[in-house]
Amino acid sequence: MSLDFGFIYTAFLGLFSALPNTLMITVVSVLAGLVIGMITALARIYKVPVLSQVSHGYVTFIRGTPMLMHLLLIYFSLPLLIDAGAKHFGWPLQSKDVPYMVFALISFSITSGAYMSEVVRSGIQSVNKGQIEAAYAVGMTTWQVLRRIVFPQAFVVSLPNLTNSVIGMLHGSTLAFTVSVTEIQAQAEILASTNWKYLEVYIAAALLFWGLTVLIERISGLVEKKINVFNGGRAS
Amino acid sequence: MSREFNIDYVFSFIPKMLSYLHITLFIVASSLVLGLIIGLLVALPRMYNIPFLKRVSQVYVSFFRGTPILIQLFLVYYGLPELLKLVDINSSRWDVLWFAVATYALNSGAFISEIIRSGVEAVDRGQIEAAQSVGMSGYQTFTRIIMPQALAVVIPIFSNLVIGNLKDTSLAFTIGAMEMTGKSQTLGSATQHFVETYIALSLIYLVISLILQKLFRVLENTLLRHEHRDEVQKEPEKRKSFVVRYLRSPRLSKGGKGI
Repeated sequence: MSLDFGFIYTAFLGLFSALPNTLMITVVSVLAGLVIGMITALARIYKVPVLSQVSHGYVTFIRGTPMLMHLLLIYFSLPLLIDAGAKHFGWPLQSKDVPYMVFALISFSITSGAYMSEVVRSGIQSVNKGQIEAAYAVGMTTWQVLRRIVFPQAFVVSLPNLTNSVIGMLHGSTLAFTVSVTEIQAQAEILASTNWKYLEVYIAAALLFWGLTVLIERISGLVEKKINVFNGGRAS
Repeated sequence: MSREFNIDYVFSFIPKMLSYLHITLFIVASSLVLGLIIGLLVALPRMYNIPFLKRVSQVYVSFFRGTPILIQLFLVYYGLPELLKLVDINSSRWDVLWFAVATYALNSGAFISEIIRSGVEAVDRGQIEAAQSVGMSGYQTFTRIIMPQALAVVIPIFSNLVIGNLKDTSLAFTIGAMEMTGKSQTLGSATQHFVETYIALSLIYLVISLILQKLFRVLENTLLRHEHRDEVQKEPEKRKSFVVRYLRSPRLSKGGKGI
């Protein structure tokens, strides 16, 4: 086997230029996903009439289909909608003006929202009902109960799941290469085909992702330790 | 891409893609069977604390959980032939499907080893001691006490893994494997009706996931039927406690998989 070890290092450095795009996809989709997830989860927990059914359908559909499908569906259907809108209502926006990155971000946020919804829901439901009743009994409003009693505890419980979702989105960002966004996977393909050294480049890409994942896990471990101080330092 | 949306295409595409369903299911099934074997082999050194092998299996699990499956596909696709060349096997005429199966098997192996470990660890030690104190042999303890309980605990996680694997197979087309997504690519470019293609494909994936979910739900209920027979009415309470149990073992869930 002729493995060019020197090139693994070169490729590793070459991949760094695509790191910002990967991180941007991850961060944006996780944050937007948290917002979507919070809304859909609360709608389902409080059984808001129409919204809870819609949320349920959304979560079922997204979790039952591959992330690649969401990306391709958005990538091919959104331009049609935008152009139709431009034609009928005279929007100043044309689909060719929208960067591919925007489609990727929208699609990944939708994906992440469904997974976050489950994370938030299981987190909130793990909070003891008696505590919530006690909080109401001392006269807190619903918002106060959520903010002071439910969310802090739910966060502690759902941190491991949250970490997994972040890692999932980090790994999922590799799919963006299918819609020509230059993240690490796309950059790897470019480097590999220009230098004709496929294996080396993918080893470098794997090492980069592995490093990022371990880093995220470490950070999450530290945070977990910190927020569990009140719990005597044990994982909840 | 600018052609008008036509719902008829969705219905005409579904049967065409379904004719490739068996390949998708073949990848899922074979990767699970191989993954179970790998997972067991990898879990054993860690459960029995075997010095060097324990480290190796830790690295293996960490690597396959810490890298995207897409990268793993390409690594296997380009790396396996090189490894096989070392032992004088020429893989250049192999069907790409085998590289996809190998990747998904290695990937599931890492997750399954964690599932096995957590399942066995979830069983109360006192019960094992109790079983031994009434004179059960190691084998009896395993089949009668540990396994039924471990299985019940891991079924939901296993169900996630299987559905995750199903969804991950949609990436096999990137190395040229002709399964449902690969077929959808050719259908899409032949007719230029991409939106309809992907709607049809999503519907197929959705239906299969829902069927799998139902099957595992039934299986879980069967395995848990011995638990709290008198508390059946308190269904919501029981579910909540399960969620808590599930969340309290941080390493249980699937990590960056199945998205």
